[in-house]
Amino acid sequence: MNSLFLIILILMGGAVLAYIAKKVNPMLSSIVSFVAIASAAAVFFLMADREPVILHIGGFELQWGLNAYSWVFGAMVISMATLASLYSIAYMKGKDRLGYFNLNFTLSVAAMMGILFSMDWISFFIFWEIMTWSSFLIIVYNGISEGKIGIKYMIFSAIGGYSMLMAMVITKSQIDSFLIADLISSFSSMSLGLQALIGVLFLIAFSVKSAVMPLHVWAPRAYADSPMSYTSIFSGLLSKMGVFGLGIMLISVFSKTTNGNIFIYSEVLAWLGAITGVIATFYAIIQTDAKRLLAYSSVAQLGYIVVGLAIGTKLSVMAALFMAIMHAIFKGTLFMVVGAVEKQTGTTDMTKLGALIRKMPWTFVASLMSIIALAGIPPLGGFVGKWMLYESMITSDHYFLIIMTFLSSTAAFLYSYRFLFGIFLGQEEKEFENVKEAPAIMVVPMILLAASLFFFGVFPGYIFEPIANGMEYLGMGHVDWNMTVLSNGWGNHVDTLSIVNSVLTVFGIAFIFLGLKNRKKTRYVTTKDIHTGGEIPTENDNLTYAVDFYKPFERAIEPAMKRKMDFYYNKFGEGIETLFDFVRRLYTGNGQTYALYVVIFLVILLIFSEQIFF
Amino acid sequence: MVISPVHYVAVPLLAAFLMPLLSKINREFVRIIPGLVLIYLGYVSVTLMNQLAETGTIVETIAGWSAPFGINLVFSPFTGFLASMMTAMAFIIWIYSYRFKKVDSEPAQRFYILQMMLVTGTIGIVLTGDIFNFFVFMEITAISAYALTAFYRHRDGAEAGFKYLLIGSFASTFILLAIVLLYSQVGTLNMAEIAQRMHTVPMPMKVSILILFLVGLGIEAEMFPLNGWAPDAYSQAPGPVGVTFAALVVKAGVYGLIRVVYTLFDIPSVGEFLIIMGAVTLVISEVAALKQTNIKRMLAYSSIGQMGVVLIAFGIGTTEAVFGALFLMFNHAIIKGLLFMSGSYLVYNNPEKEIKYLSGYGMKMPVISLFFSLGALAIVGLPPFAGFWSKLYILMSAADSSLYGLIALILAVSIIEIVYYFRVVGRLYFGKPAEGSIMHKATPGGIIAMSILSITILVVGFYPDIISSYIHNAAEALLDKAQYIENVLPSVNDLTQIQN
Amino acid sequence: MSSIDYNQIMSIGIYGSAIGLILIGLYAVLMKKHLTKIVIGLSIIDAGIHLLFVAIGYIDNGTAPIFSPKGLEMMAAGKTMVDPVPQALVLTAIVIGFGVTAVALSLVIRLYRHNKTARIDQIKSLKW
Repeated sequence: MNSLFLIILILMGGAVLAYIAKKVNPMLSSIVSFVAIASAAAVFFLMADREPVILHIGGFELQWGLNAYSWVFGAMVISMATLASLYSIAYMKGKDRLGYFNLNFTLSVAAMMGILFSMDWISFFIFWEIMTWSSFLIIVYNGISEGKIGIKYMIFSAIGGYSMLMAMVITKSQIDSFLIADLISSFSSMSLGLQALIGVLFLIAFSVKSAVMPLHVWAPRAYADSPMSYTSIFSGLLSKMGVFGLGIMLISVFSKTTNGNIFIYSEVLAWLGAITGVIATFYAIIQTDAKRLLAYSSVAQLGYIVVGLAIGTKLSVMAALFMAIMHAIFKGTLFMVVGAVEKQTGTTDMTKLGALIRKMPWTFVASLMSIIALAGIPPLGGFVGKWMLYESMITSDHYFLIIMTFLSSTAAFLYSYRFLFGIFLGQEEKEFENVKEAPAIMVVPMILLAASLFFFGVFPGYIFEPIANGMEYLGMGHVDWNMTVLSNGWGNHVDTLSIVNSVLTVFGIAFIFLGLKNRKKTRYVTTKDIHTGGEIPTENDNLTYAVDFYKPFERAIEPAMKRKMDFYYNKFGEGIETLFDFVRRLYTGNGQTYALYVVIFLVILLIFSEQIFF
Repeated sequence: MVISPVHYVAVPLLAAFLMPLLSKINREFVRIIPGLVLIYLGYVSVTLMNQLAETGTIVETIAGWSAPFGINLVFSPFTGFLASMMTAMAFIIWIYSYRFKKVDSEPAQRFYILQMMLVTGTIGIVLTGDIFNFFVFMEITAISAYALTAFYRHRDGAEAGFKYLLIGSFASTFILLAIVLLYSQVGTLNMAEIAQRMHTVPMPMKVSILILFLVGLGIEAEMFPLNGWAPDAYSQAPGPVGVTFAALVVKAGVYGLIRVVYTLFDIPSVGEFLIIMGAVTLVISEVAALKQTNIKRMLAYSSIGQMGVVLIAFGIGTTEAVFGALFLMFNHAIIKGLLFMSGSYLVYNNPEKEIKYLSGYGMKMPVISLFFSLGALAIVGLPPFAGFWSKLYILMSAADSSLYGLIALILAVSIIEIVYYFRVVGRLYFGKPAEGSIMHKATPGGIIAMSILSITILVVGFYPDIISSYIHNAAEALLDKAQYIENVLPSVNDLTQIQN
Repeated sequence: MSSIDYNQIMSIGIYGSAIGLILIGLYAVLMKKHLTKIVIGLSIIDAGIHLLFVAIGYIDNGTAPIFSPKGLEMMAAGKTMVDPVPQALVLTAIVIGFGVTAVALSLVIRLYRHNKTARIDQIKSLKW
């Protein structure tokens, strides 16, 4: 059987099996879903043939295939999903409705792979919508929240999906084909108005998924309110589907046209991405809940990626795609970390947590690596991406964008530190005395991912190669890459190996010096074993502060944050509901009124029959 | 006995009249006979569809008077498809209603007699080739429907029934008036011959007659502003009856409208009229649906909205649009049927049928909630369920006619649909159950019926080709007026000479 | 001469009264608040339409459409029959109207018992 078809079949079948397996044993359900995803991963990486699948359904020809560009995303999706489902086995242990959860979990993964395999818009749309409703069902897993986040998510996703449907249908009527490749090749021959319409519609569709302003309002709460094992793929992978689509649109489709106006849309998108980055970062800083912080941070990171794609030079696209992969890895890890903390301590409120570093050392290591990557510090992967992004913005003369991105990147340090400090560092709390490390099944994926961050930071070339192939496929022409050296157009280069060597040397010396050499002279102390001005703190003294952590910062940016976008959407929604209430009063309940409507309608038609029918 | 289309009409009618006698023999007969009748009709459907595939349209003359003097029944790909679909749905409804009310507070006999009459009426509407016969069958359907709406004593059934009767009488009046005027112009009651002679009618008269038909049939087809009766009737009727309305009665109404517009009349601008009225119907009903708190009423408004889309598609008028419209009619019958069936069980013990009482039922009644959710996902048009394909075809045909605004309108309204359906689904699964809410276990019949519908939705969703060939033939048969005339009136020329 | 005038006056009279009946019935249905009056109005509308139909089927100086000996004589003499089709249809329509009226009246009784009022503008518990 064709490998691509097999992958989808395994995943969808696994989803259904997982649902049924719950009747037997809830744990079995999670295990089944893990096995399904893992075997799909195996097939993916061992795939011998890459023949396209052609299905004839409903009079349409659906084509599935794998090209270099989708291979990049596919590898990322399926590997991350495997680790997340492994993590999920332990995370979801003991929760109810596991069959339902695993069904939708696996179905989301199936849908994502389907999207990546689609060569025609109908399959794309079908899988896109499956992804939408299966993720909706998981968002509401934890209960209906006051903010009606489930419905809000569905509305925005529907707006995105339906924009795509409309664009698809118009395309078909113009060029009589649903194939993506056909759209790419004939886009430039369409009329300018149509180009604008179809282009904007597709951009809206993918921007909703990538949480670009102003279509981002669903994202923070959706990410925060879902179960953490799902959020690791939700914010890590599902959002990248939007990026995938944006890549196709911005690079393949738009670049082929000679219409100057199209480039305005790319510019606008770049600006929106940068604004998203800035504002989401600010919101992340003032959060007290670790989940919300990460959620806002995800939105910000996606903003950077969108900027990179929108700018459109070789370096920026490489940067964007590299950052996309890195983000999937480190954000996935971070959400796993938060999930582990939540499972072990029962809360994710950073004002309450603290000093878990001793209790959950492996979790701490994983989160440390991920935070370093997020903040863009060498020698980890995030640095590579950020560096390339800055360079590309400089070389393409987007100076104001640089300022905004620098601003948000630097501000990202603030919430990165807070995350680490609020959870792992600081003073020990009484109630968390007996917290233990998370189970091995949860720790292993985290450590693996963290290690991969380190690995890809040193040898980014392993990722460069598939990305370069993908970009070539998209039509960007040949891209130079090197295993360990990053270079921009001017000849400056960063040699990651030398960075790593220096870092390792420093750490090595410190380790030897502090750990081994002075072994005899060191002793183990608790955080309370200090003197401050001669006084020894007692049990209940609070030596660190976690509440109002960034109060000065909050005060500084308060004027800019007065009104959230969300507020306007809510007001709009309420206004519409009032309007609808008014409209439905037409059905007064009085039978005679209805009869009157009938007669009046008849009379109107008869009087105006000339205008209407002749 | 040769299988012929008249069995569709004769057998249920006979059964309905015989039931009071047979029930004296054994009370259980009352429940079983409809099932037997419908199984037989199913067999008739299959036979006739096969015959259709081989020999073409079957035209049967009644009582020996050949067309155009006598009444004839036409079993073409289009009408045959509708008749088969109605038979199948009626059968599934019978399975569902087999023991719907455990405590026999409402007499089952009267219920089944009325159901049989309704089946006779609706299938008769679809199959007949004579316009007065059409009126008669419409009245049969209408009276049965009025009575079925008011079936329960302890609800507002009488109010809903009376409103339905009031508006329905207007429908009958206008249609009768239109038939009268039409007869005075063309001198015949046979649909094919009317189609032939329509060009002789002067334009003002033609338009007036058309308007009368549109208003009268629009009432049955739930067009705005003629659908005031519909939300009340759907919400107050018993569960199986609601399904019957959605799957059979309104389909017959739309059929009538389409037959008049496409076959009888030849005025091209009616298409635009249908598109506009369909759009208005769609918008107003979906908007009203959003604020509903009674679940059956919400489903009723949603039904009206879907019919609006059907009208839009018929208005667009290309082969692809008609194909999409027929597909949507089929999907709507199945999916709305499922929604009404599961919805009725969900609010079984809840006299006000309010949505807010449904919190947390996902845990208590998991199977039925699953059915409802499946229906909700399907009707909004989400892949990979059946509703997606019909939506896709209709949108494609709209794009081909460059009606971009219409596409945007339909999709925007779909978002509204998503909101109110997913609100219910969310509440089902993730609300907190109210204190003391009693749930009702579904009867085996109900479960079987709902399962059949669900499986159909999934199968058609994954592989729509199963029925798309039938629908395609149906669409072509509908649009081919000349073929229709030729089938019914074989020796046309001789007859006109005799007239002269 | 006079016979033609007679026919025309009769035609106008019949058509006029048919339309008049329809309008009266329409007025009753739309304006009267009492349920029974509405039902009566429906019956009046039906009567009007039936009259209209029969009137349309009338052919000047025609005779009844029955194959009786006298009728055959008249046909041989050149008189034509009135169109029989409308008369058959009207028979059917009268019966249908009767059925609908019966159902309507039973519903009125039910409504009155349930709501204690027979005014249609006070029976609107199903609204919006």
